[in-house]
Amino acid sequence: MPEEPDIELSFRGGRLVSALPIAFFIAWAIFQSGILGIGDTTGLVAGMLTGLIVGLLFVRGDWKDYADVVFAGMTRRVAATAVVAWLWAGMFAETIQVGGFVDGLVWAATALNVGPGLFPAVTFLLAALLATGIGTGYGTAIAFTSLVFPAGLLLGANPVLLFGAILSGAVFGDNLAPVSDTTIVSAVTQDADIGGVVASRVKYAVVAAALAIAAYLAAGFGIPGVVSGMPHANVTGQVDATVSAWGLVHLLDIAIVIVLAVRGRHIIEAISWGLIAAAVFNVALGAADLIDVSAASMLLFRAPQNGLTQAVDALPLIGAVVETVPGGQAGVGGSIYSGAAGFFPLIVLTLLLVAGAEIMRAGGGFDAIQELLIDRVATTVRRAETTMVLGTALVNATVTINTAAEIAIAPYIATLGKRFNINGYRRANILDANTSALGYIFPWGGGLLAGFGAMQGLVGGNGTPWFTQEMLVNPASVWPYVFHGWFLVAVFLVAAWTGYGREYVSDRTSEEVSRV
Amino acid sequence: MSRLGKLLAGWTFRTATPSFEPGDVITAFVTHSDGEGVSSRIGDSVLRIEGDTEVDVETKVRLKVTSFDDQNHVGTAEIVEFLGEF
Repeated sequence: MPEEPDIELSFRGGRLVSALPIAFFIAWAIFQSGILGIGDTTGLVAGMLTGLIVGLLFVRGDWKDYADVVFAGMTRRVAATAVVAWLWAGMFAETIQVGGFVDGLVWAATALNVGPGLFPAVTFLLAALLATGIGTGYGTAIAFTSLVFPAGLLLGANPVLLFGAILSGAVFGDNLAPVSDTTIVSAVTQDADIGGVVASRVKYAVVAAALAIAAYLAAGFGIPGVVSGMPHANVTGQVDATVSAWGLVHLLDIAIVIVLAVRGRHIIEAISWGLIAAAVFNVALGAADLIDVSAASMLLFRAPQNGLTQAVDALPLIGAVVETVPGGQAGVGGSIYSGAAGFFPLIVLTLLLVAGAEIMRAGGGFDAIQELLIDRVATTVRRAETTMVLGTALVNATVTINTAAEIAIAPYIATLGKRFNINGYRRANILDANTSALGYIFPWGGGLLAGFGAMQGLVGGNGTPWFTQEMLVNPASVWPYVFHGWFLVAVFLVAAWTGYGREYVSDRTSEEVSRV
Repeated sequence: MSRLGKLLAGWTFRTATPSFEPGDVITAFVTHSDGEGVSSRIGDSVLRIEGDTEVDVETKVRLKVTSFDDQNHVGTAEIVEFLGEF
């Protein structure tokens, strides 16, 4: 299908007014989650919907154009990519969880004597490893919050610090993984080959990661873990000798996902194979009575009682995933269902936010910012690079889905960088590091919301019946603890000022993009 | 460039004002255009382009440096090849 020409919008009050829907949403998000402490994603959906309606009132001319831009934004591929990653990662993580993976991790941590102080640093490293392998920071945030977070709580680790460590690991992988969508966008938009981009960013990532590990160790031993009076105190230490190590079998299906992703298979394909393996392991472990899991843990039709449903329930095979219940309790359940359903509000929010960003583009809000930067702010190479770092950070701090934010800011980074002959690798690195970092820090950041969505799924979940509503971490409280994200931004600010890692076009020209 | 070479490139503190020698041939973008002609700014060093100046900003070119003043970080160069717009 040929692409439709981009529509331009005109706003009363000038081009910057096109930022109103997103600005309204951010104000709503700060009020709702920051001030009132309500971490309800559907509430944020209401905020973005209201923002889109408020923006409409300021459009000059035909309101139909505004509506068309909303549609154009919602159908962008970047939105579909995030939706797919969440649905698949959600199903996979939930299926591993019902298969006793949390118990397996608790068993391993106990056996290896990883106490609550060391747990956040180890979590950061493992999350970074997984995210670098599978290339999706959101998927990592979901998987680790579903699986490792409850294990850490049972050992007595500080919940906010632990959530921060998971998000930090996601930042690391999003930044460095060759298969990460943000890595690919950074390379493609700055005319650089992906291999060269990844190789050239190691020098920044390792400096930030070393600082982050030190910070998690210091905080892990310095900040009290779970203290009496906290809702988690009741479950801390409830690790007894009976936890089963068998859930660790699911490391195999995680390995399948990582290997396939690294080999360049599509995320749908890689996670589907992992999901199939996890389901097979679950049925086998359940049949052998090693773990309390069955086919019904993954998919269950709870049908209202009548003659037909009772007959189906009695059938071989099919009957294993059907049970009859009193009429009022009818429904579908299991990890496939709840793993995907947990992300529905976030998916809707994402589509609306991408629409908001599209309105800002069509209304010239992004252009207005670029002109201001080039003419007034970026007058020397140091100031230009500092502007690139802070500009990328700012856009990513405001636009929830970091891939969308990155696509929006990428042309500015290219224009600004070329004005000083900064080479493609350096431009791609500035772009991706600050994109990855800021998408996981603030309470409206997509990565944080993805992890929080998974955490909400723990409440009364099959694998974590002890997890209550009171144990949820307030999304607005985690920002100081996403150490790797902050250190990555800091490394780039220092690099912009000192010239660390700077390369000009005349030093080395980036190679052709080999993969789009 | 080898993978190892790519990994090890750029682990340095690069100056904001790179220097060039007359005779150096470098790749760069044309960055500025004004009433007096066009120039290529590399970091905070500027090479004024002499000779063929019928070229747009953001065109990638091969430049032969013809003079360079290390004190003021300015010099002159001429275009030896057009590499196109990127």
